[in-house]
Amino acid sequence: MREYLIKRIIVSLFILWVIATLNFVIFQVISPISPEETFAPLSLEVSPEVRENLRELYGLNDDLHIRYLKYIRNMFTFDFGISFRSRRPIASEMAVRLPATVLLLGSAMVATIIVGTPLGILAASRRGSKLDIATIGSGLLTWGVPVFYIQLVGMLLFCFYFNRWFGFEFFPSRGLYSIPPPQNPLAFMGDVAWHMALPVLTLVVGGFGSWALYTRNVLLDALTQDYIVTARAKGLSERTVLYRHAFRSTLPPIVTIIALSIPGIITGAMITEFIFTLPGIGQWYLTGLNSGDYPVLQSVLFTYAILTIVCNLIADLLYGVLDPRIRVGMRR
Amino acid sequence: MASLFSRDKRIIWMRRIRNFWEEFSHTKIGLVGLGLLVLYILVAALSPWLTPYDPIAQPRLAQSFAMPEWVTVFPQFSNLTKTRRITLSWNVENDPLNLVTGGWGTSVGVQYKAGDLQPVLLVLHSKFSYAEIPPNEFFQQFAYQSTDTKDVEYSVTLNLVTPEGEIYQFWDEGGLTGDRGQWVTRDSKDPLFIAALFPNEPGKHLGKVFFTQKGEYTFVLELRFRPKSMDATAQLEISDSKLVILGHVHGILGADYFAKDIWAQVVYGAQLSLAIGFLAAIVGTSIGILVGVVSGYLGGIADEVSMRIVDILLCLPLLPLLLALVNLYGRNVYYIVLFIAIFGWQGLARVIRSQTLSIRETAYIETARASGAGGFYIMLRHIIPNIIPVAFASMVLAVPSAILFESALSFLGFGDPRVPTWGKMLQHAFQSGAFINLAWWWIIPPGIAIIGICMAFVFIGFAFDEIVNPRLRRRR
Repeated sequence: MREYLIKRIIVSLFILWVIATLNFVIFQVISPISPEETFAPLSLEVSPEVRENLRELYGLNDDLHIRYLKYIRNMFTFDFGISFRSRRPIASEMAVRLPATVLLLGSAMVATIIVGTPLGILAASRRGSKLDIATIGSGLLTWGVPVFYIQLVGMLLFCFYFNRWFGFEFFPSRGLYSIPPPQNPLAFMGDVAWHMALPVLTLVVGGFGSWALYTRNVLLDALTQDYIVTARAKGLSERTVLYRHAFRSTLPPIVTIIALSIPGIITGAMITEFIFTLPGIGQWYLTGLNSGDYPVLQSVLFTYAILTIVCNLIADLLYGVLDPRIRVGMRR
Repeated sequence: MASLFSRDKRIIWMRRIRNFWEEFSHTKIGLVGLGLLVLYILVAALSPWLTPYDPIAQPRLAQSFAMPEWVTVFPQFSNLTKTRRITLSWNVENDPLNLVTGGWGTSVGVQYKAGDLQPVLLVLHSKFSYAEIPPNEFFQQFAYQSTDTKDVEYSVTLNLVTPEGEIYQFWDEGGLTGDRGQWVTRDSKDPLFIAALFPNEPGKHLGKVFFTQKGEYTFVLELRFRPKSMDATAQLEISDSKLVILGHVHGILGADYFAKDIWAQVVYGAQLSLAIGFLAAIVGTSIGILVGVVSGYLGGIADEVSMRIVDILLCLPLLPLLLALVNLYGRNVYYIVLFIAIFGWQGLARVIRSQTLSIRETAYIETARASGAGGFYIMLRHIIPNIIPVAFASMVLAVPSAILFESALSFLGFGDPRVPTWGKMLQHAFQSGAFINLAWWWIIPPGIAIIGICMAFVFIGFAFDEIVNPRLRRRR
């Protein structure tokens, strides 16, 4: 077990190093972006001394290999530097934006699981029924319907048409809270929830189908195993067979999928944030792209990689906990 | 290579394909998908015949946000009008000295020769009738050119006389003495034009001012000549005037903010989406097959390296990475396709690798190796044919994924600015006020088009998967 862990960690560090290097190469070596353009546009009247100071501040005066070594050191000590645009540390900029994104995608994920899992179980237990076919259909739809389109249509209906017909917006079309925000903390929370409702709802509509289909397929797979036949032969009720025997064995793959979709929390809502003007990581990344603020871009991509690796590891370990068969295999 | 397509082989493949079709034609969902795909391919192939307009370069076809023509079947929209282009040729109303020398096709010639020092007024008119509801936008164009001017001061004035006799000045240029060519466009949205007519009311709705009265309208063109000597001359050519009353409704799917035909953009989007989807899927699947087979068959270092590459790719968020690359290296549709393909093969490579691993251990591979077959030969002749069905199913599903990625890129404003994709239509709609104007005819169609083409491939892929993937085969 320990050997396995150590090997995993070494490989993970190697992958992180490759990704950090890739980021460096993409954004700083072959990139056509000139950082100077970004932090002091040439149209702006900036004295050469100021320009020089800024170059010094951002560490652009060193040779490339020195810059690379410093960069790698910084990345592995989680020091992402300073944003070119706002001139504030990346970490604090990210901390400001993380809550909105995590709230948005976290609640969407929880809601998707809450809606999708029971639907998948029901569909699997009544294979071939109308519900089953509807579940397959909704799962296939999520493959082909862009979520951003659902959001656009939702926005058109609930914000703009509602406003035309009834004189008010059913859901607000932009922002995380009203301006000015309500003073009372409870009212503020309610306000945020109201603003989050449409983005979260549309994300769930766009995602529950594939979740239900996945649960269904995993459960169906389990239901054809020999031990289910045994359980039925023992005379256990269908309910017990389904929930105590079959569903239990679907937990590992389901938990894995949950763990693997956690990294998506940081970047998965880019388009949602763009559409609903939510001040999250995705918006931040897009502004960074448009203004050539590459410390932002590097930090987001690197954080995503770290999250992926950590979540993968957690998923593997959980797999062992949830599935005794694998635990044995690992010890061996 | 020729032996790869020998007669026996061909027969075997034909039989395989026929068997496959036998199974495929029994899946309803697969046939639906195939039908949809054929529809899209037909639209893509027949685009120039389905719409007369070019998707990018178009003249002003109607007013901004013109609704589709067919909305006029509903009573509340029944009085909306289509675009009317009126060409007005000039008739002589008052010509004391017989200056008009006749028309040259689409223009009128005027030959002025002073006999005395009296000023001369030449009046031309042209009439049209208008009885619809007032338009939101219109523009009027004409041109004049003078040559051989000598010792004369002249002026050109254009007025519109409404059926009730109100007079609005469209154009007035006086004090001209030399040769001059002038193109005149008067646009109801032009703030200078509005200011010239209504100095105190910027943003006045000129369509409502001019065209609320039903009946016969007259454009009156007045030319004044003031000779300075006895041998003053001037020669003028005045083109026909063109009045375009832009419609409230236009075409099958209306017009967007830029007054472009939406149906044309939707139709031409099919070619691009199919091309983008197929190219990205073919390139990505080829990489996946290559990496999977080589790493699975060779094992060792090759396997280790390629699986680490897969691990690394799995740690990169696809959309943000694509955005960054496209932003840095150019918003070019070929780059977009290439990037989507390069970063989209890792899942397939893993599947192919595991399949190859199990095929490698089979007896017939042993036999082939024992009879002296090389690694390349075995991979090409024995392994790849066996993984083709799985790879094909995966390729079919890679098409919608590539299309969705491209539309997401375009929607975020990182698409190729030269090509009219559906994602870019949605981006324009989002950014140019389609929502506030409730222009559903601009927002709904491109999305439906994307969904349709993706569902076609998803359905086909689903049917494929049921056939080639033994685990999913219906347990009867």
